[in-house]
Amino acid sequence: MSSILNRVNVRILGLALLAMMFPALAQDEVSAKAWLENMSQALHEKEYKISVIQLQAEHISPLVYIHGKVDAKEVAFLEYLNGPPQSAVRVDNTVSFIEYKQAPYSVNAKRIPGVLPAGFAGDISRLESGYQFVLGGRSRLAGRPSQLVRLIPKDDFRFGYQIWLDMETALPLRYDLMTKDKQLLEQLLVVELLVLDKAPAILIEAKKQEWPAVVVQAQSTKKTQWDFSWLPQGFRVQTNDQHRLMGNNETVEYIALSDGLANISVYISKVGDSPLPEGLVTRNGLGLSAEVVGNVEVVAVGKVPTETLTRIAKSVVIK
Amino acid sequence: MDKLGQEWVSAAVDGEVDNNTLAELANDIDSHEKWRDYQIIGDAMRNELPSVLNIDLSMSIAEAIAQEPCHHMADVKTEQIDRNVSAANQSSKQQSKVVPLFKQFGQYAIAASVALVVVVSVDNYNQSNTVDTSPLSVLNTRPLVGSVSPVSLQTGSMQQSSASASKNDQVADQRLRINAYIQDHQLQQRLNSDMNIDDNSQTEAIQSQ
Repeated sequence: MSSILNRVNVRILGLALLAMMFPALAQDEVSAKAWLENMSQALHEKEYKISVIQLQAEHISPLVYIHGKVDAKEVAFLEYLNGPPQSAVRVDNTVSFIEYKQAPYSVNAKRIPGVLPAGFAGDISRLESGYQFVLGGRSRLAGRPSQLVRLIPKDDFRFGYQIWLDMETALPLRYDLMTKDKQLLEQLLVVELLVLDKAPAILIEAKKQEWPAVVVQAQSTKKTQWDFSWLPQGFRVQTNDQHRLMGNNETVEYIALSDGLANISVYISKVGDSPLPEGLVTRNGLGLSAEVVGNVEVVAVGKVPTETLTRIAKSVVIK
Repeated sequence: MDKLGQEWVSAAVDGEVDNNTLAELANDIDSHEKWRDYQIIGDAMRNELPSVLNIDLSMSIAEAIAQEPCHHMADVKTEQIDRNVSAANQSSKQQSKVVPLFKQFGQYAIAASVALVVVVSVDNYNQSNTVDTSPLSVLNTRPLVGSVSPVSLQTGSMQQSSASASKNDQVADQRLRINAYIQDHQLQQRLNSDMNIDDNSQTEAIQSQ
């Protein structure tokens, strides 16, 4: 009799343990994504000012990023603090660049490029085909408690991210872009986060300013005859056109690829006079790879491992 | 629009934006010129100069770009009768205030300040066709804006060239091409950040005209 009771007890205990473990596991998986979704939302909804140190190889740039809402429209302002003046203003879906020795110009964009990867503020589900979301530990950054979320690449074709999110607002306080061997390529470190309760004067001022008209690319009327026999999981064609490269005036067919975080540019042109290197990589992870396919040269550029670029370049086929 | 410069920005950041200072600062064109010099002097004093300093190269490229008259925004406005405009306007139905800057096969006029990587030196090319044993060779690069960011080059089977003169030409041309591609990629990050990344079709985008 007592042995039966014991068995029942053991079973109940076992079930209780399982019940405790599985929801915990399930919850972890949900909440890593939920954290990222909160971040994406916070980047759009919150009003804040962050002072940031951006590291790319040995290159350090301090910058200030201010975001808020004016007349129900998102307004953001970015300024690099060192070197020649360089800044950008976003009002709704228009980003204007104000730079040293250059007439300001505007483009249609949902984010100011160069601070946080655009994918951080986009649809997080889009990233799931290429990355696994894993919750990490907690630590203190910019004087605030933060939660680590890892974006682990599901294959070797892209780099991984670690993002630390402010526990209170879910705004990013730091991110690292790393190779598979944990070599740091790029880091963004918030040194101060100010959560604002109303849009600061500079954003109200920026909203009032008249910015240059948006420049727009003419739609390519020529159908591209190029396709890819292979692309890494999650990568899709974003756009394509034909244009000339600055500097050498070369005419290229251009195809943009993205997995939501990593962006790759593919250029197809006639074979050049001088051979390009098979693989070239800058210290911040931006790589270039060139392949001669038939009588054309395919050049792929992007912040992914050069092996990925080479394989994509080799996968270009005529439809 | 030229007056809409960095000064407004830095003053505004400090909360000092008022019309008088704005006008005053915007007129001070000389200080723009000094910026670069001060930066380089500062770099030199802090011993942060690259081993090969090639300011003239990056400047001359930027200036050549800036002086391309037919690609300036102001001039493009006069080309609105261009056949491509109709296509451009179609693509942006909701935008009434649009400057058609890029013609098909057009050249981007706005990229001068997109981090221009000027590859200054390429060395350690393979001298033979044997397996590449040389370590990653390091290129000195100097972006137009900002400081130096070195680049390492994995030399694959680089073609041999017996005449050193033609090799130098080739190397110079190669550098130019590498820069052109990297710079264009950076520019595309600005121009195409608006693209619909939720598009489910992988090949549809290519096929559409």
